Amino acid sequence: MAAKAISSPVPVDWYPTLAVIMVSVGLMFTATFFIYEATSSRRSRSLAKEITTAAVASIFLGFGSLFVLLASGVYV
Amino acid sequence: MATPLPPLRRGTLLLLLAILVGVLASAARADLVISKAERRVDLTSYIVRVLASLKVENVGPDPVSQVLLAFPNIQAKNLAAIRAFGSEGKLKGQSIVLPIEVVQPSGAPPELTFFSALLPKPLEKGKTLHLDVLTVFTHSLQPFPEEITQAEAQLVVYQDSAHYLSPYPVKTQTLTIRLPGGRVESYTRQNAKLVDSELKYGPFQDLPPFSYSPVIVHFENNNPFAVAKEVVREIEISHWGNVQITEHYNIIHGGARLKGEFSRIDYQSRPYVRGVSSFRHLIARLPPRAHSIYYRDEIGNISTSHLWGDSKKTQLEIEPRFPLFGGWQTTFTIGYGLPLQDFVFTSDGKRFLNITFGSPMEEILIEKLIVKVVLPEGSKDIEASVPFPIKQWQEVIFQDDWSVVQVKYSHLDIVGRPVVVLEKPDVIPEHNLYFQVYYRFSNISLLREPMMLITGFFLLFVACIAYMRTDMSISKNSPSYLAKLQWDEVQATVQKIQGIFEQYLAVHDKLEGSLRDLSRTGDTQTCKAARKAADAQFKELSKELKPLLTSLQSSPQSYQIWPKVEDLIAKEREMQEKLMTRHSTVVDSFEKKLRGQDVENRIGQQQQKIAALRQEVESLLEYISEI
Repeated sequence: MAAKAISSPVPVDWYPTLAVIMVSVGLMFTATFFIYEATSSRRSRSLAKEITTAAVASIFLGFGSLFVLLASGVYV
Repeated sequence: MATPLPPLRRGTLLLLLAILVGVLASAARADLVISKAERRVDLTSYIVRVLASLKVENVGPDPVSQVLLAFPNIQAKNLAAIRAFGSEGKLKGQSIVLPIEVVQPSGAPPELTFFSALLPKPLEKGKTLHLDVLTVFTHSLQPFPEEITQAEAQLVVYQDSAHYLSPYPVKTQTLTIRLPGGRVESYTRQNAKLVDSELKYGPFQDLPPFSYSPVIVHFENNNPFAVAKEVVREIEISHWGNVQITEHYNIIHGGARLKGEFSRIDYQSRPYVRGVSSFRHLIARLPPRAHSIYYRDEIGNISTSHLWGDSKKTQLEIEPRFPLFGGWQTTFTIGYGLPLQDFVFTSDGKRFLNITFGSPMEEILIEKLIVKVVLPEGSKDIEASVPFPIKQWQEVIFQDDWSVVQVKYSHLDIVGRPVVVLEKPDVIPEHNLYFQVYYRFSNISLLREPMMLITGFFLLFVACIAYMRTDMSISKNSPSYLAKLQWDEVQATVQKIQGIFEQYLAVHDKLEGSLRDLSRTGDTQTCKAARKAADAQFKELSKELKPLLTSLQSSPQSYQIWPKVEDLIAKEREMQEKLMTRHSTVVDSFEKKLRGQDVENRIGQQQQKIAALRQEVESLLEYISEI
């Protein structure tokens, strides 16, 4: 079997764009999360909603910060 | 003028000659004859390259499968690389690389080191073999004098034999020595001819085995004697698309040492006269598409570097902080990133790195090269394959054997990255061959780093959730605490009431929608059904609302909000009634087939009231939510 070159799972040129998009989406979800935390009262707060928003926000922020690192040349 | 030789050297030569005479008597090695030997010695750089083109004939009865190559030990200890290329036949054809190994034939003198070039198929009787042997020697140019001043040129001595030292008789041979140009102080004049910068010895005819005739050349060589005491080359693979290379150099000028003091003014005004033996820059040939190149030392960035690049290579010219004179040394670090797809490949389920072994610097001798290959976290089954012997190489795999662990901790690592360490002494540009490191790596492991970041962020959110849910107050009975609890309850109830009102408004909208549908389709049945459904929904919502209102009314904290809520409920009731009447009026008039104009007249007033009520309800809701 001939050797095949390995490339990155996502083209390197996309990293800066992905970083900007994912971080901004992540920050938007973070904002939603904190607005919900601040406005809802203790009795009416729903754990499921909090966890869902937190999970979505952390997925976007996690990948976003990874792409920020990669785009700035810190290859993890 | 006779060259005064270093005394020790002269002694060794004499000793060698004495032994060779003894060897001659016992020679009778194989039946090979070298019919023609041409040797070319290149002395233009610090590294000495000797290319011997031999024409080997088998004159004996038996086929021969190996050709012996002999070197005196004083040469052999400086031998950095030896390669042999052979082709059989009268004319020179396609050459193939012959494997070479060190041998110790019986009866051979211990002052000689023998190498054997193994032929792919035995050389039959009467056949001829063309053999090209490339040998590279280091430390063979001895600076003489050993100390010079800043203005002096560097003179070096080279010693060799005018006759090709071989265990076989040699019929005809020549020796050509290529000098760098410039002054030639002296040379052994026997059978010699110096034309321009080429020194020729021979031709010599019919010499017996182990002939030796020393020649000495003393000449000017101001080429950079760049010797790296130690180079640590770290290759770090990231499967996110990068191969990062970091090279730490400790470079010394290996030529004649500088005597006296160094004058910067002299050097600056006439660098090629006052400082001819020094060198001020080094050139590194990096692979194409190298990026993020840096050149620094302990102090920080060194700004004196230049970079050119095309599709074949990237050329980096670096200038140390000061010119290097004999014996001076400097340390620095260069680093660059390379695209992953140029150097890492996959085959049969295994991945491998395929990259050159040596340093990218031109004409540099590395006395100790350490290559560290840092593989990504989670790599297994690590194996290295290097095309030449390596003196010491430790391959360390973590987890399999905890006793010898070499891992590197880098960004976002948990268990560390496995490191393969390869070490080789005396590395020359000829060792810039490709080597491979095989390993297994699953793409799932790529997700380790993002998962870590995600977990980090998620924990932060969980901490926020936990903080918002914990009750931090110390006194659980204080009036202010109780009041706060009650207020929380009121807020929760109000939010629920708000929710119900939103639903009311949605039902209103649905009713309006059904009226619009009616005017379009004229289907009174569906319209009536919609009204019935709305009615049912209103009832249900009122039922839900009732307990909330009672709890709100009973709470002492709601004195401020209660009147507004009451007002809201009253307005909502009124609006519901109005809506219903209007709805039935419209449906009625539709059934009686009244003209559109009349319908408008009948409901016009109601329409206005409803709009006003709706506005009031909305503003009340907004007011409540702001409390």
